Amino acid sequence: MRALIAAIVLGCTILFTPVAIAQTQPDEPDAAAEASGEAAAVEDAAEERAAQFVGVRGPEAESVPGGALLLGAYAIVWLLLFLFLMRMRGLQRQTAEELERLSLEIRASGDR
Amino acid sequence: MLASGRAQYMSSTRQSGSSTVWSLVLFATLALFAATLYAIFIYAPVEQQMGIVQKIFYFHVPSAYAMYIGFGVSAVGSAGYLLKRDARWDAVGVAGAEVGTLFCLIVLLTGPLWARKAWGVWWTWDPRLTTTLLAGMIFAAYLALRSMGNAGEVEKRFAAGLALFGLVDLPLIHYSVQRWRGVHPTVITGKGGGLESEMYWALGLSFIAFTGLAILLIWARASIERQREETAQLRFELMHR
Repeated sequence: MRALIAAIVLGCTILFTPVAIAQTQPDEPDAAAEASGEAAAVEDAAEERAAQFVGVRGPEAESVPGGALLLGAYAIVWLLLFLFLMRMRGLQRQTAEELERLSLEIRASGDR
Repeated sequence: MLASGRAQYMSSTRQSGSSTVWSLVLFATLALFAATLYAIFIYAPVEQQMGIVQKIFYFHVPSAYAMYIGFGVSAVGSAGYLLKRDARWDAVGVAGAEVGTLFCLIVLLTGPLWARKAWGVWWTWDPRLTTTLLAGMIFAAYLALRSMGNAGEVEKRFAAGLALFGLVDLPLIHYSVQRWRGVHPTVITGKGGGLESEMYWALGLSFIAFTGLAILLIWARASIERQREETAQLRFELMHR
């Protein structure tokens, strides 16, 4: 079994190594130029594919609405401050209720 | 009896003086906010490159400064609590952490709105942004720890240690722009190109208004926390009477 696996690995190495070398290291300048030409063609094809999704006809730059962002930022500031004040009010009310309850308990225990 | 009456009189006088100072700070802060809004939207010019979105800067930067105040106060209160074991210091620590986290949240939410226009992205892992997020997470952990029911002595001490750990991050936030050359703007530091004089006025007013607001919020929150602590103490005494 080991011998069979070793034979398969060896066979694959012998078969694929020259192909891999030929792809990564073109030995002739013409082949290199051809390879770069092919790569450029692939890139162009990719760009072409990407361009097919673009439907912009007007200005090329992305238009980010500054006014809306500014409004959002100021709304966030006031909203968070308001929520914090509401939380403090809630805590204050909770403490007042607790104090009221405790004072009733003290009065009741004093009557007994 | 006489001593008790005098103590009550002293206490009520102190409370009345404290409430006068509170009212003064409150009215001064409200007036300053009105002046700040006028300066930001009417007096200061629109920035040439970024347009109107640059006006986020006038609330974003003072919020970061108020965050430093909150977290700094929390660390001081926590150190005081660890040294003296006094509940009043603990209340200051909690108040500072909550107010600091509030302003940290404002910074972390308004910053991306500006960045979307200026950088084209909502968020980037710039050193200043990352260290600010880290500080927010440390103090969020502090608040999570304190919100788990009635915090006992161990929770309070552990949270105080966490606040001191968070304090280490504050100089990192401040100097990260200079040390690690991120993309965050440095217009008001020594290396920056500076601002127009009207912009400086608006920013200066905003700094003062946010300082007043941070002081008011910390003051109010610490007072509520002290009352909560006293109520819990009273409840405990009643239960064990």
